[in-house]
Amino acid sequence: MKLSNKKVIYLICSLLTMVLILSGCWDIKDINHRLLPVSIGVKKVDDQYLVILNIPEPIDGSMETKIVSAKAETVSKAVDTISRNMESDVYLLHVKLIFIEKETAEDGINDIIAGFMRSRDVSPKALVAICDEDLQEFFNNIKINAEKKGLSTYNYFEKNAGWNPDIALTRVWEVFRGIHSYTHDVAIPLIRSGKDTTMDQIGSAILKRGKMVEQISSNETLLYNVFKGESGNGKMEVMEHATVMLLGSKTDNIGRLVNNDAHMESLIKVRVVILETKGEPSLNLIKEEINTLISERYNKLFTKLQENEADVFGMGQFFRNQIPRDELKNWRSDYFKNMKININVKIDIQNEGYLKTT
Amino acid sequence: MVRSLHVMIMYVLCHLGLIFFMFPADIIASTEQGHWFPILIGIIVHFVCLLTYMKGLSFFPKKDILSIFSKSKKRVTFLFFAPVLLYLIMAIIITVRAYAEIVTLVFLSHTPLWTIILLLLSVSAYISSKGIEAILRTAFLLFILFFPILLFVLIMSFQNVDWRYAIPFDTDLGFISKPAYFESYFAFAGGFLFLGFVQPFFSYERKYVILSAIFLIPFFLFSVYIPILTLGQATASKAFLPFVLIVDSINIDWLMFDRVTMFFLLSLIAFIILYLSLLMWKAIRIINYYIPKSRPSYLLFGLSVAIFFVCFWIPDWKDVENILFMNSFLRSYVIIVVPLSIYYIGRRLKRKDTNETI
Repeated sequence: MKLSNKKVIYLICSLLTMVLILSGCWDIKDINHRLLPVSIGVKKVDDQYLVILNIPEPIDGSMETKIVSAKAETVSKAVDTISRNMESDVYLLHVKLIFIEKETAEDGINDIIAGFMRSRDVSPKALVAICDEDLQEFFNNIKINAEKKGLSTYNYFEKNAGWNPDIALTRVWEVFRGIHSYTHDVAIPLIRSGKDTTMDQIGSAILKRGKMVEQISSNETLLYNVFKGESGNGKMEVMEHATVMLLGSKTDNIGRLVNNDAHMESLIKVRVVILETKGEPSLNLIKEEINTLISERYNKLFTKLQENEADVFGMGQFFRNQIPRDELKNWRSDYFKNMKININVKIDIQNEGYLKTT
Repeated sequence: MVRSLHVMIMYVLCHLGLIFFMFPADIIASTEQGHWFPILIGIIVHFVCLLTYMKGLSFFPKKDILSIFSKSKKRVTFLFFAPVLLYLIMAIIITVRAYAEIVTLVFLSHTPLWTIILLLLSVSAYISSKGIEAILRTAFLLFILFFPILLFVLIMSFQNVDWRYAIPFDTDLGFISKPAYFESYFAFAGGFLFLGFVQPFFSYERKYVILSAIFLIPFFLFSVYIPILTLGQATASKAFLPFVLIVDSINIDWLMFDRVTMFFLLSLIAFIILYLSLLMWKAIRIINYYIPKSRPSYLLFGLSVAIFFVCFWIPDWKDVENILFMNSFLRSYVIIVVPLSIYYIGRRLKRKDTNETI
C-alpha cells in the first residue's frame, strides 16, 4: 500500500499529538519531589487532630527518618498543612501503618476511619494499631530506633517478616466493617515503643463499633487469631509439666437458638509438638494440661467480651440463618451478651521430638 | 463470513466492562437481603430478550435490523428507531461521563475531567470509524491481553470472603420499586442490540451467543456477592464502588505489585472503550440510514464533538444518576419493544411466505 503525501502528513501529525497525550502526565510531580510516608499517627487534641507522619528519606545510600507533624481541624487538612510546609508534596499512597493514640480510640475513631476509606489515597489494606503512649514520644522513639539501631516499623506487621501469631492484624477496611457491621467487631494491636526493639506489643484493643472498650493480652490475641483462622503456627505454650509448640488449629462452631437464647458449641482442634518436659509426664497429662489452659483462657476472654458486648469473633455470623435481619441489628446487646458458650478442645500431639514420652 | 467467536468475545467484553462498577452498588442499594433474586430476575429478563431478539433476527438471514424495515416508509421506521438512537446516544454520554469520573476517582485524581473524556471519546471514535471488522478484531486482542488479568484479580478477590454473609437467602419483591434497581439494568441491556447490526457483515451461530450469555452469569453474581461476602450488607451499602473497594483491599504477599486495582481497572477501561466504539458505530449506522448522503466519518466526528460538550456540561455525579434513571424508560423500550417487534415482523413474514408457497 502506498501512502499519499497528504496521508503521511496526517499520520505524522497525529503521531506527534499522541506523544503529548500518551505520557499520561498532568500536573505530575516527579518522584523526587514527593514524600511518601510509611506510617501516620493520629491523635485528637481538644477539637483538633494532631497528625504525625513518618517519612523515610534515602540520603547517600542510607535511610533516614523524618518525623513531621501538624495540627488542624481534620486529618486531611493537617496533611495538607504538612505538605505546604515541606519542600516536596506529601502523598499518602504508600502508608502501611496507621497509629491512633489510645485516648482518641476510646473516644471513637469512626470519622478518622471513614475519612481514610473515603479518600482513595490511603489504601484500605493499611494496618491500624493503637498506641499506648504519647504519640509524639512514640514517633520520636521510632526515629531514634530506626536511625541508631536500623530497626524499621512496617516489617513488624508483615506476615512474611516480623509478624507473630499473637499480634492482631487488622486493616482499615476491617475496622470500617467493624463500625457498620451488625456482627463483627475487631481487635487492634496495642503497642508502645520498646527499649531495644522498635515496638513492644502489649496486647490488643477491642473496638466495638469503632470505640475502644477493652484491652486483652497477647495470649488472648492468639486465641482471637486462632479463631479467625490465622495459623497459630510456631507459638509456644508453657505449662506445668511441658512446653509445647502450636502447629495448627481449626475451629468448628455450631450456633443454636434455644428459646431465643443463643447457644454456641465450639470445637477447637489444636495440633502441637512437644518441645520440653519437666519430669516424666504422660501424654494424657500433657493433653489435659493444654486442654485446661486453652479452655480457661477462652472462657475468660469470652466473659470479658460479653461484658463489653463486643463480638470480635464474629459469633453472630453463625446465627445469621436463625435470627432475622431486623433483630440481628441488636445482636450485640440482645443475644451475644447472654450467649452460652461450650468450648471443647481436642488436642493432637503430632510428634514428640527425638525423645519418647511415656 | 462466519465470525461466531468474535461476536461471542465482543458480547462478553462489553458486559464485563459494565458489570463491575455501578451494577453491584445498584443491586446492594435495591435490597437488604437475598441479593440473588434481583440478579436472577435481571438475568432471566436478559435471556428472554436475547432469545426473542435472536429468534426474530433469524427470520431475516443476512439482513440487519435497519434493512428489515426497508420496505416500509422511512418516516414510519424513524418512529421506531428514534428511541433506539436516543438510547444509544444517551448510553454513550452516561458511559463516558461515569467512567471518566471513576477514573479520576480511582487513580488520576489530579487530571482534569475533560482530558479523560477526550481520551475515551477519541480512541473509541477512531476504532468505530474503522468499522465493525476493526471493532471485533480489537475485541479479540483485548480479550487475549486483559481477560487473564481480570480473571486473576477476580479469583484473588475471594481472599477475604466470609460465606456466612450470604445468609439469609429469603427475599421479597421490594426492590421492584427502587430506582436503583432499574439503573442496574444498564449492565444487562448494554450489549445485545449489536447482534442485529452485524448481520450483513458477519454471521454468527445463535448457540455461541447464548453460551457467552451463560458464561456471564457467574460474573453478574460474583460482582455483587464478593462485596457482600467480604463486608456484609450493612457496610457494603456504604460504598460507592463496592467491587473496586474489595479489589483495593486484596493483599498478596508474593506479588511484586502493591495495588492490583490498577490492572483490574485498566483492563475494564479498555473494555469500556471498545463498548463505546460499538455504541458509536451503531448510532452512526442509524443516522447514516436516514441521512444517506453524508459521510460516516464526518457524522462520527460531529457526534463525538457533541457528546464531548454534553459530557463536559454535566456537572456532578447526581446528574449522571438522574440521566441514568431517565434513560431507564428508553432502556425498557430497547429491552422490550425492539426484540418483540422484530420477532413479530419476522413471524408475519414467515407466515406470508408459507402461504405464498402453498
